[in-house]
Amino acid sequence: MAIERINPDLCNGCRLCINSCPMDVIRLDEESNKAVCKYPEDCMCCYICELECPEDAIYVSPVRHVPLLVSW
Amino acid sequence: MPSENVVETDVLIVGGGIAGCFAAIKAREHGLAVTIADKTSAGNSGGTLVAGYGYVVFNPEWGHNLDDCMNAINTKGEYINNREWTEIVLKDSWATYEALESWGTEFVEGEDGTKSVKAYPPFGVVRMGLTRAGPPSRKQAVKSGVEIMDGITVVELLKQDGRVVGAIGFAPTTGDLYVFKAKATVISSGVNTFRSLGNISNLTGDGEAMAYRAGAEITSKEFPDTNALPVDPSGSLFGEAFPLWRYHTDAEGNRLDLSDEYELALTQEFAVHAGRGPIIWDLDTATSEDIEKMRQRQEHSVPPKSKWAAFDPGKRGKFRIAGGAWVGMQNSQTGGIWPINTKCATTLPGLYAAGECCGTRYLGAYHPAPGFGLLGSAVTGTRAGIGAAEYALQVEKPVIDGEELARAKRILYAPVERNSGFSPRWVTQILHNTVVPYFIIYIKHEERLKAALTIVRFLNDHLVPKLTAKDSHELRLAHDTKNMVLHAEMILRCSLFRTESRGVHYREDYPRRDDPAWLAWVKLREENGEMKLWKEPVPKEWWPDLSKPYEEIYPRRLLGE
Ligand SMILES: Cc1cc2nc3c(=O)[nH]c(=O)nc-3n(C[C@H](O)[C@H](O)[C@H](O)COP(=O)(O)OP(=O)(O)OC[C@H]3O[C@@H](n4cnc5c(N)ncnc54)[C@H](O)[C@@H]3O)c2cc1C
Ligand code: SF4
Ligand code: SF4
Repeated sequence: MAIERINPDLCNGCRLCINSCPMDVIRLDEESNKAVCKYPEDCMCCYICELECPEDAIYVSPVRHVPLLVSW
Repeated sequence: MPSENVVETDVLIVGGGIAGCFAAIKAREHGLAVTIADKTSAGNSGGTLVAGYGYVVFNPEWGHNLDDCMNAINTKGEYINNREWTEIVLKDSWATYEALESWGTEFVEGEDGTKSVKAYPPFGVVRMGLTRAGPPSRKQAVKSGVEIMDGITVVELLKQDGRVVGAIGFAPTTGDLYVFKAKATVISSGVNTFRSLGNISNLTGDGEAMAYRAGAEITSKEFPDTNALPVDPSGSLFGEAFPLWRYHTDAEGNRLDLSDEYELALTQEFAVHAGRGPIIWDLDTATSEDIEKMRQRQEHSVPPKSKWAAFDPGKRGKFRIAGGAWVGMQNSQTGGIWPINTKCATTLPGLYAAGECCGTRYLGAYHPAPGFGLLGSAVTGTRAGIGAAEYALQVEKPVIDGEELARAKRILYAPVERNSGFSPRWVTQILHNTVVPYFIIYIKHEERLKAALTIVRFLNDHLVPKLTAKDSHELRLAHDTKNMVLHAEMILRCSLFRTESRGVHYREDYPRRDDPAWLAWVKLREENGEMKLWKEPVPKEWWPDLSKPYEEIYPRRLLGE
């Protein structure tokens, strides 16, 4: 769901995903210097982080944590 | 420990989409210090990031005729477009197009070797390539010497002696505080989407909300965006399906009457309201030629690595369409902060509005073709940048007293300082349940609008003042929620106030246009803690010829007419 995985073996800690996420979902784990999905419930499944990541470390699934009500 | 930073600048730009970038670049041309603060990343966020279809250009050398274009907008906009602005945007379009192209935005050539798409006469629409408009505009801003500060959510405007003198914001990643002291401030933070499906949920109408709280006048929040880009209920956009919405059917397989490709205004909502939903995007019936067209579109506008590129229209199928993918948005640049002149000044000295935040009303009650959003944003951005720079050159550096700073900080930090109250995520969900269903904002009726307003007022009066935040991430959520609730109140009140139907504003209890009573704009402003609304008449010389039969003045029939 949402960000499903950030592969720590691939992540180089460049922060590109953090800086580009419009929903402020990702944080850098200070100890390991790896990106972590800190607020998955706010992820809007826009795939921007996945697209930005130079190491292809992120996988986002299109299913949101809380399904959104639609107008019809 | 979060830090406290003071940024002094001549012109502060709140939000660096296409409008903010144009404003910044223009203001820099006056030799001033210009700073963009962006909630996410200037040029890589908001509407400008997702807008990939086209851009309207008006160029008589390409065969465009001003009267024809004006007439088409007057008719589609149902005579409440501000004609002064309509003409300005058309006439300024070529300069903005050339600027974008020179900064690196690619415009794609069509089948006939020209860039002008012929599908939307009398307008000239050019298609954008993968570069889109945002990243090249950002690059140009940097090159011009604009200071860009990403990752900062601006929360509240600062005022001193009746003048806007900057703003206060914070960085959700670190909790750091930023005080911007500026001679002039441009609001260009884009739309409100109620965090709906359409993937620009970071836009929560912050700029209009802070301008309202500072006392600015707002206009025309009753015209919802009725975009029908195919989005499935889980939120996946179907690549760039734009040109193929003629394959929308009702649940029984009847094609919706979208004969004119851009005749989307409420057609789907009317079908749903009649019980013929859900709406299906039926690619099984699409011609191979159209499938090929869609593939080409994807190639031009979907990054190959993106998941949306993996959607293969050639596999066909039937897809359920989700309604209200951008439910809080307005018909482009109709709703927004009221500009008092053609340089986008507002009723507050020192405050300028641009892009989707600027209520120029240049398209009126509906828009006649795609590609007007970016254009109007670039034009108002240009003008706001010039207006703000000229103002900044005339005024002294602002001095902001301790009381005003303390007030703004109190507002900013209040949710983290509360130990008990309501979670912003939960309040947002209640807001969704109240305003997202189609029968509130799209198919309106006094009883339902009043019912929704009762809930929204309660949210505003009782829950919003008690929003809590555990950390700086949730602090952003709290401010977003507060702004969305305010937008809901504006939308509902404007919708109740306009007791007629016009364009995309449809009242089931008043299903006809009411001339000349409603050849007028709704305006609103805060007065003694209450939202006060009034009517501003459209100048008589812009009225349609009322001696003509109604059906001729308004060719589009509404449900119940
Ligand atoms: C799916 C979609 C497709 C579209 N396609 C087209 C198209 O093909 N052609 C066209 O002409 N138009 C299109 N539009 C409309 C177009 O996107 C907008 O008209 C235009 O991008 C608005 O520009 P803007 O600069 O006003 O706002 P935006 O581009 O939305 O920029 C607002 C900026 O403000 C920032 N911001 C928001 N809140 C704050 C805050 N509190 N503090 C600091 N910064 C903040 C955001 O991060 C963002 O960078 C489309 C819109 C959508 C949703
Ligand atoms: S963009 Fe990729 S590599 Fe860089 S921090 Fe994020 S996950 Fe790691
Ligand atoms: S998919 Fe979008 S919202 Fe979700 S974490 Fe990535 S960038 Fe953020």
